[in-house]
Amino acid sequence: MLPNRSRTSVLVFLLPPLLLYCAAVLFPILQSLFLSFFSWNGISDMEFVGLANYIRMITADDIFWRSFFNALLYLAICLVLQLGGALLVASLLTSLRRGRELIKTLYLLPAVISTVAIAFLFVRIYSIDPVGLLNQLLHWVGLGTFERAWLSDVNTVLAAVSAPEGWRFTGLYMLIIYAALIAVPKELEEAAVLDGASKWTLFTKIRFPYIRPVWITTTIMATTYGLRGFDIPYLMTNGGPGQSSELLTTYMYKTAFTSTDFGYASTISVFIVIECLVAVGLILFMLKRKAD
Amino acid sequence: MIAQTAPAAPPTTLPPTPTIKRRRRKPSLYRTLSRVLIMLIVIVQVYPLAWLFLTSLRTEHDFATGDPFALPSSLTWENYARAFETGDLGRNILNSFIVTMGANVLIVLLGMMAAYAIQVLGFRLSRFVRGLFLIGIIVPVQIALVPLFIDYSTVNLLDTYQSMIIPLAGFALPMSIYLFSSFFEYIPRETYEAASIDGAGPYRIFGLITLPLSLNTVVTVVLVNSIFIWNDFVFANTFVLSEELKTIPLGLQNYIGAMGKVDWTATFAAVCVTITPLLLVFLVLNKAMIQGLESGATKG
Repeated sequence: MLPNRSRTSVLVFLLPPLLLYCAAVLFPILQSLFLSFFSWNGISDMEFVGLANYIRMITADDIFWRSFFNALLYLAICLVLQLGGALLVASLLTSLRRGRELIKTLYLLPAVISTVAIAFLFVRIYSIDPVGLLNQLLHWVGLGTFERAWLSDVNTVLAAVSAPEGWRFTGLYMLIIYAALIAVPKELEEAAVLDGASKWTLFTKIRFPYIRPVWITTTIMATTYGLRGFDIPYLMTNGGPGQSSELLTTYMYKTAFTSTDFGYASTISVFIVIECLVAVGLILFMLKRKAD
Repeated sequence: MIAQTAPAAPPTTLPPTPTIKRRRRKPSLYRTLSRVLIMLIVIVQVYPLAWLFLTSLRTEHDFATGDPFALPSSLTWENYARAFETGDLGRNILNSFIVTMGANVLIVLLGMMAAYAIQVLGFRLSRFVRGLFLIGIIVPVQIALVPLFIDYSTVNLLDTYQSMIIPLAGFALPMSIYLFSSFFEYIPRETYEAASIDGAGPYRIFGLITLPLSLNTVVTVVLVNSIFIWNDFVFANTFVLSEELKTIPLGLQNYIGAMGKVDWTATFAAVCVTITPLLLVFLVLNKAMIQGLESGATKG
């Protein structure tokens, strides 16, 4: 605490950021909660409906459940690509002597590109007519039977819209995990190697436990980002065909701005917030317990 | 004579020790495999972008009739000309600049102020306020869309730069506060105490000590946030309707023609134009950015 600070100085520094934060983040969260108890199309009078929106969401809305399970699968694919890919590349990179900086930069490149550009790029990669990169590749390696219109096939569309999201941020998590891995004390690793530890034991018994705090951070980051995924599915398929690539976020967006059902959209929003909080809580709980 | 000139020459002899210590190891299977694997993954990561760039340089005819994945038979810039004709690229880039600058100023200034109040000045509820800001990291931005849309339409803020800047800055603020306060922790208390004894109050200490010392963190915060703000789609798409205010991500959508027919080469040229500013900044400053991202997360 600064020796001669005053109460006013605290307020002067704290109030402006707090005001912006309240206006943009905190107040809208409360407002969503409030709106979720109303039925409102933005024009006519708001009508208090109590828990009706919640009851409708949980008991009578198939699209909601469909979107919820889609979002979980979307999250799973993103997590595997981002955390799995990141951990793999980061570990491989530590054994590399030269070119680390170059690979780090190249690997991070997709994270700099806008989701709209990525959506465009992947629409073209997945397309069958004109033939896209993926189908061409399958053809070349003799797996021509798997060629398909990835984005109009109800069986593949969800995976197809999840992959670009996973692809774009792998580099970011790789950087973070790599930074943690090279901070593992060399003496620990050397001692283990002297004791005859294999690469695998070295990784599972020394390196991974050591980077656990960073692993928790990245898992939370990747999970909350995966749960708020929106742009790429919205731009590539707009949730379709049917509801096969609908996520909670795209469903919420359409409910609000296409059907102008603000009350019900807010109910879905509240659910998304709770889902994120529960996810973070679960991750912390599981990883903490495993550590004990 | 020879003996005299010899010492002046730079020591060209190889250092003797490494040749003994570092015997030529046979490239082990593990190392070869891991190298191949890294190369493969990097190719998957980079090839789509290289392809995007190459396509933007091909003639429309060549792309449509030839093998779209072969190397271009001839290079052309005409797609870029067409890209500028089709859309309002210049306008979009300018708008993105305005929004990115505006939001960054707020994020840096307000983030620093809040971190200063919480970390350096300290007050009774500081832990609570810190927790309050933490919510913004966890909560997804989509939650704010409906309420902000309603609020903006009541106060006539829809379709303005502010309608994008305010939520972008608001949601980025928590991370910036977090980065600034973890940096402020490292400024030794004695520095402040010495300044206090010399009669400096909290405002002067902020302006003369804390602010100049945190310039590195400012660079980090600006770089990291610029990526997200420059590329923001969701706020721009929700709050902006008029052509004149469209930012790059929205502008790109104009390239999808009516009937869903896409002029791919021009589209890819437009994409290349729009990602170039950020890409250049990234390539020039990537050391700083990489360091920032690493330290930001590892401290957590």
